[in-house]
Amino acid sequence: MLNADLRPLARLPLLFLGMLSLLVGVLAGLARFGVALPLPVASQAGAHGALMISAFFGTVISLERAVALARGWAYLAPLAAGLGGLSLLLGMPLLLSQLLLGSAAAIMSLGSLLIARRQPALFTVTLALGALAWLAGNLFWLVDGVISSAVPWWMIFLVITIAGERLELTRFLPTPLLAKRLFAAIIVALLGGAALATQQALGLQVLAGGLLALAMWLLRYDIARRTIHQEGLTRFIAVCLLSGYGWLAWGAWLGLGGGFAPGDAQRDAALHSILLGFVLSMVFGHAPIIFPAVTKVRIPYHPFFYLPLLLLYLSLLLRVATDASAWRQAAGIGNALALLLFVLTMLVSVARGRRDTPL
Amino acid sequence: MSEIQQTTSPTALPGAEELRQTLRQALSQVIDPEAGMNIVDLGLIYRLEVTSEAVEVDITMTSPACPLGEMIIDQATAALRTALPAGLEVDMKLVWSPPWEPARMSDHAKVHFGW
Repeated sequence: MLNADLRPLARLPLLFLGMLSLLVGVLAGLARFGVALPLPVASQAGAHGALMISAFFGTVISLERAVALARGWAYLAPLAAGLGGLSLLLGMPLLLSQLLLGSAAAIMSLGSLLIARRQPALFTVTLALGALAWLAGNLFWLVDGVISSAVPWWMIFLVITIAGERLELTRFLPTPLLAKRLFAAIIVALLGGAALATQQALGLQVLAGGLLALAMWLLRYDIARRTIHQEGLTRFIAVCLLSGYGWLAWGAWLGLGGGFAPGDAQRDAALHSILLGFVLSMVFGHAPIIFPAVTKVRIPYHPFFYLPLLLLYLSLLLRVATDASAWRQAAGIGNALALLLFVLTMLVSVARGRRDTPL
Repeated sequence: MSEIQQTTSPTALPGAEELRQTLRQALSQVIDPEAGMNIVDLGLIYRLEVTSEAVEVDITMTSPACPLGEMIIDQATAALRTALPAGLEVDMKLVWSPPWEPARMSDHAKVHFGW
């Protein structure tokens, strides 16, 4: 039974479990901006990063990987990550959440290593390294007890995972060997920077340099540069990608100036240019194909998809541009509304898909 | 599309080659949304064979880490069913060996992607 794939409908509860962490994680982020929220949510303010990255993204990325693996045991990863988030929300002992999230990352790492063994290639190894970065972040959180120790690892968990998936798609293009080597060197710089950052502040700058190089690499070699000339969903995805790379470059630039350091005035802007501007762009672009792949629910494209993306970028521009706390609070609310609009857009599209093609 | 194996089994129907063409046409309606290119030109169809009972297809994906496989297989199966004469079943298998490589793309796809 542990070897059999999970039916699409049975995957939905895992997705909802992850979305619960997303919901409270976003509200906890708003609480940090001083938005008045009920105590059960406001008390999660300190867990914002853990809920957003480890619990929410951990759940959905490990779910996506489990669908690709098509093995029952691989779904234990999103289950453990989702439960790890839930135990945070319920205020259970922190150690329990950390162990659940650590187990989730270990299972996903194992699955990703199996994929790399099945098809040894730079992109499969990159994906496995991304999973291991998640594991490293969870372990540092467990050992140090503070989230800031985990943040560089969690950030590169998302960035390396996305980079690996983009690299896979560049195989359609005649990418020079030198470019592939450069890509490998960038991944090493990201991992090395995160590792060094555990000892020295310089590590964060190495990490930022790696991120900037990666943004340039993706802008130069990603297939999106071609697919942006197509139409419909393919073009929308390309727009999300290319603009996301711009945000990655901007966040990395701020990081080079010291913006990743805890307590730095630019830390919020640096981290969220990457984690909202870059990572959420990838989510907005790919949800219309990944969500149907995971759940077998159709999401037909509509030009309206551009609206949440635009709202995200405008509110994020405000967030990185202003120092005034009132404006930053408004920007944070705008970020949350962009996400809400995106979820609503997806739900309306699901309804449209059902109406157009009765199954 | 020389990449697709030109096998005809002893039980092949008369007119099987025309049917193969029709089916290939049907499969080329299935697009990889990220690449913006159809699965036949991408070289994902390793084998397409028509027997008296079924059309047998071996299909691959460019990456074992990609969750889109199941959905593309469903779409490809649906596309074949619309073009299939009554009484024939679709027997589609996901294969990983040999792994996909860019050389499997059609000339059309290669030119499109700048090779």
